Amino acid sequence: MTKTILSVDDSASMRLLVKMTLSGAGYDVVEAIDGKDALTKAKAGGVHMVLTDLNMPNMDGLALIRELRCLPAYKGVPIVFLTTESDAGKKNEAKAAGATAWIVKPFQQDQLLGVTRKVLGP
Amino acid sequence: MTDSNDPTQTFREEAAELLADLETALLSLEERPDDRDLLDTAFRALHTLKGSGAMFGFGAMAAFTHHLENAFDQVRRGLMAPNSALIDVALASKDHIRGLIEHPDRVNKEEGARLLDLMAKQTGAASGPTGSGTVTADKDLGTPGTWRIRFRPAPDALERGTNPLLLLDELRAMGSATVVTLTEALPPVEEINPNRCYLAWDIVLTTTQPRSAIEDVFIFVVDDSELTIDPVDPEAKRIGEILADRGEVAADTVTDAVGRQKKLGQLLVDDGAVTEERIHSALAEQAHVRNKTDAAKAVVPASNSIRVPAERLDDLMDQVGELVISHARLKQLVASSADLQIKSVTEEIERLSNGLRDTAIGIRMVPIGTLFGRFRRLVRDLSQDMAKDVSLTMSGEETELDKTMIERLNDPLVHIIRNSLDHGLEKAEERQAAGKPPQGLIHLSARHAGTQVLISIKDDGRGLNRDRIRAKAEEQELIQPGARLSDADLFQLIFQPGFSTAKAVTSLSGRGVGMDVVKRTIDSLRGTIDVTSTPGAGTEITLGLPLTLAIIDGLLVRVGAGRFVMPLSAVEECVELPVKEDVRHTGRNFLNIRGSLVPFIRLREMFSSPLPADPYQKVVIISVGERRVGLVVDQVLGDHQTVIKSLSQLHADTKAFSGATILGDGSVALILDIGHLVALGQTFEPRRNVS
Amino acid sequence: MAVNDNQTFEALTFALGGEIFAINANLVREILDMIPQTEVPGSRPFVGGLINVRGKVVPLADLRIKFDMKQTPPTIDSRIVVVEIPLDGEPTMVGLLTDKVYEVTEIGGASIEDTPDIGMRWRPDFIKGIGKRRDEFIVIPNIERIFTSE
Repeated sequence: MTKTILSVDDSASMRLLVKMTLSGAGYDVVEAIDGKDALTKAKAGGVHMVLTDLNMPNMDGLALIRELRCLPAYKGVPIVFLTTESDAGKKNEAKAAGATAWIVKPFQQDQLLGVTRKVLGP
Repeated sequence: MTDSNDPTQTFREEAAELLADLETALLSLEERPDDRDLLDTAFRALHTLKGSGAMFGFGAMAAFTHHLENAFDQVRRGLMAPNSALIDVALASKDHIRGLIEHPDRVNKEEGARLLDLMAKQTGAASGPTGSGTVTADKDLGTPGTWRIRFRPAPDALERGTNPLLLLDELRAMGSATVVTLTEALPPVEEINPNRCYLAWDIVLTTTQPRSAIEDVFIFVVDDSELTIDPVDPEAKRIGEILADRGEVAADTVTDAVGRQKKLGQLLVDDGAVTEERIHSALAEQAHVRNKTDAAKAVVPASNSIRVPAERLDDLMDQVGELVISHARLKQLVASSADLQIKSVTEEIERLSNGLRDTAIGIRMVPIGTLFGRFRRLVRDLSQDMAKDVSLTMSGEETELDKTMIERLNDPLVHIIRNSLDHGLEKAEERQAAGKPPQGLIHLSARHAGTQVLISIKDDGRGLNRDRIRAKAEEQELIQPGARLSDADLFQLIFQPGFSTAKAVTSLSGRGVGMDVVKRTIDSLRGTIDVTSTPGAGTEITLGLPLTLAIIDGLLVRVGAGRFVMPLSAVEECVELPVKEDVRHTGRNFLNIRGSLVPFIRLREMFSSPLPADPYQKVVIISVGERRVGLVVDQVLGDHQTVIKSLSQLHADTKAFSGATILGDGSVALILDIGHLVALGQTFEPRRNVS
Repeated sequence: MAVNDNQTFEALTFALGGEIFAINANLVREILDMIPQTEVPGSRPFVGGLINVRGKVVPLADLRIKFDMKQTPPTIDSRIVVVEIPLDGEPTMVGLLTDKVYEVTEIGGASIEDTPDIGMRWRPDFIKGIGKRRDEFIVIPNIERIFTSE
């Protein structure tokens, strides 16, 4: 079964990079431009993993993670967030909010795939 | 937004927008320094520029932006006011960032340094680039180590999207893992919340990867889970030592329990010192390490592997066989079609089916070391029984052979090794008298040779006694008195039923059974046996075996109305039967092949074919070792992928055939038993050595 | 020879050489129309051929040879009954040539008589018993014995 990943980032270039990387590996990618957009799309269902940036306008990644974890359908769905080396505090907040894993920017495409496979399974 | 599929170009466009946003925000901030939204916009723009920039090859820009982002982070956190001096630096920096993106080779480095300096003055923080630490996996493959891992995920791990089973799978993929699930924390059923994780796992992992690789598996859960990773002593330990090592129970408690001499595990449980589950887990570790140690002794290197029931492999092979047969049928149907598309699909299927066949055969291959290993004990026990000092050495243990073949080779090899120990190798005194080292040597080796695997059993004993073999053969009327025989032919006689030259019958061999069993088994495997021996120096028996029992490349021939297959590996050449040989129906059935006489068999006569012979008879020359024989057929039809089906007991008496196969048209063809036919050719013997 | 299992059993009945035979239906794997057979040179005439049954190579046996019956060419009614019998402890598929296959029927224990010791032109150990259905005699051959005898 093809797995669907919701990619959330306000940066179009990042979304493009993520989409190219993940669809190249056989995943379906749904894009959202911020937390609000993501929440709407997540509620439509069919998402196997959420990949989100933390810093976004309207609703940031932390709020998105908290909102998602309140939805019964998103208990147990892996949520991976993007962070930077300097954001140690943010990382802990995101983990506490219920995130599953994280990727430190800048990352290589195979690092993204590695983490995706790690949380979604082969 | 752009439709471009080049993320770098998208980034450039996006960066231009972000820089414009940044500029607007900075200018507005001058007027409304307390506007939180403006500050957030500025910060986010910088954050995205930094984060994405590094990913799209703008490292210098990202490093520079990092400092500006830092400054704005401090403003955001109220540590610093967005005064006009900062806005000035920020605006100048914004222009510098644009330069770094648009023409990175032409930027003014001094300007960059000046801006950083100004920024540092504003923030009071030390400037200087922070290295973006890239974590590179330690790919250093060391010697295998064994680790004991206890992993108890946080109770809410499942809700946080962690699947512990995937982590266990990752460990399994790293090497050989024994996993024991600890259920001791599981509440009564009515209290179970299916979203909570109550389980823990003890994993004993043997891997060539370093500890850091194991830690990486748990990277996302390490902070919230209970996780310990400890090296395990490669020696197989006693259960009490393992429990003490693990800190499950004090060493004294163990010593105490041992003193009472009951089953230790049970005792410890009875004592309440440790739960049954922990004992179970420790036992699993013991078994794991013991297996590893045994495997290491068997020399076969540990590898990433999965266990599959043997029947499933047989099923796979059967199905591949069916596929090969179906393909042969398809090919036959398509041959008469003019449709090029169908032809090309058929070729594609042929390629796939051949690939699948090779893979399936490959999966069935097992290193012969697994078989050789069993003989250490045999040689040790036998040499003690016979009071002979014998050392067993091996080479080529990694040589792979079909697993069915390996199982069936056990008995023949046991017989040959026994024979070597019994008849071949001398007692120490006798060896020393002959100027040899007192310790006898048996060497087992295996290697690939073309489509065959050669297994040799070599000893440095006294060698075969030609005179005694000859005398015995004459006595049993296996050969004519005074018959001229090559060494190779003479030595083959030891495989005759009831043939034994041992004067004293020992408990082990010399009863005349054994070597004929070897011959029969090897024949049934379509293998060959060669014997070389030098008096006083030793004997070498070499078994030649086909790589697989399941599918072979065959040559399809027609004899009368019947079609027959012979293994292509045995075919040397096809020649036309000279007319003068053809008409001479009696007596000498020999062909002159480049100066040597090769006996031939008319299969038409052998099979009593009622149909008239084709005008030009063909001879297929086949060989087994040094021996050759020609088989006269009506027609050579060509190559045939032969899926070998064995014949039932009801046809055990038909010696000319080793099996059957199914042809493209669905009919059955018999597979010629090359070993039998060659042996039959040798009975035409006498005139061959005249030349 | 005494019948050791004088019980009712499901039997497949078929005609061969003018007689009606019944074999335990549990042994039957398949009933095939006549298909090409491959002759095995040098084999016993009783099992002189091989057939392809769904990718398996199966020996084809002609019981008429064991019962000294005349070998007549196949007709439109001829069928091959594929049975599975133990040979040397291994379940083995064997095709049996028949002139015609009738039906699967129950053969009652009471109607089975022991093989008469005299007046038989066949080897007594090849016959388990003679059954009776309506007015006809049905021969119950000892298939396993037939295939394991020399």
